[in-house]
Amino acid sequence: MIPRPSLSELERKGQWLALLLLAIGLHVFEAALPSLGPWFKPGLANLVTLLVLVLMGPRAAIALAIGRVVVGSFFIGTLFTPTFVVSMAGGLAAAMVMIMAWRCIPGISLIGISLLAALAHMLAQFITVESLFIQQSALYYALPPLLLLSCITGWINGALARYISARLTDEL
Amino acid sequence: MALLTRESDHSMLMLLKGSKVDRLLLCVSLLAIVISWFVIQSRIAAGPAVAEIYHGQVLLATYPLPQPGEAAQRLHIEGELGTSEVLLDQEGVRIVSSPCTTQHCVQSGVHRHAGDMIACVPNRILITVRGKSASTYDAIVE
Repeated sequence: MIPRPSLSELERKGQWLALLLLAIGLHVFEAALPSLGPWFKPGLANLVTLLVLVLMGPRAAIALAIGRVVVGSFFIGTLFTPTFVVSMAGGLAAAMVMIMAWRCIPGISLIGISLLAALAHMLAQFITVESLFIQQSALYYALPPLLLLSCITGWINGALARYISARLTDEL
Repeated sequence: MALLTRESDHSMLMLLKGSKVDRLLLCVSLLAIVISWFVIQSRIAAGPAVAEIYHGQVLLATYPLPQPGEAAQRLHIEGELGTSEVLLDQEGVRIVSSPCTTQHCVQSGVHRHAGDMIACVPNRILITVRGKSASTYDAIVE
């Protein structure tokens, strides 16, 4: 007989799935936004990864980052294309940096974690493109202004994540 | 952990403030970004404005950006997926058409300032602008 999962386990999985769907929706929404520059997005999908990290732990956050890039890319038609590889590298790098900052930097809040994740996301995208697709260091000329924008979006997303996590933990 | 979950003040200003560690990280990041920006600009902003066109590891060509009065140039660049059409005119450089599905490179429009870049990752085409930007005006009179 197959053992039944407990109600709390099912509830936890349901919450994770709901957040995954939200992250996929944001991934698709961001792809539809007018381009603000090469590979630049507001990073709202990373906000969900950050929330999952705080609410459910590192494994759930990594799984969500992978899941939302795979399913999101499927919907926008870039699955297994270079765009998908770049997205995956950025999403995973952001999730890894979030976990490391969350565990290793005392006194950091969700804003600092989000800031570092946004910078890691952008850097990972450039490094991936430079190593796999366009092997030219000239690519990095465009990096500083984009990193500056990442600082702004990372900070704002972190503030939003703080607000949402405070509301969720109050209510859960 | 307690810091992450024990959020009581919901006012937007307090939410945007961040902890001391956050602000320190922001300052260090901004400093590093600004320094690297100046270093890069000092290296690439010298000389006349040119567009460099790459495919993967190969620099295909370097073209001067046309000055006011000079004729526009239309180039056909072979990439991974097919031919990208590049237009060099007085406004700068742009990709007019591309065989990629995302079309981000086409939508990114005209670029003419040192450090500007158009990257078509699916077609593995990179166009960068170096040198002093030429004015978009013939003359400014009062």
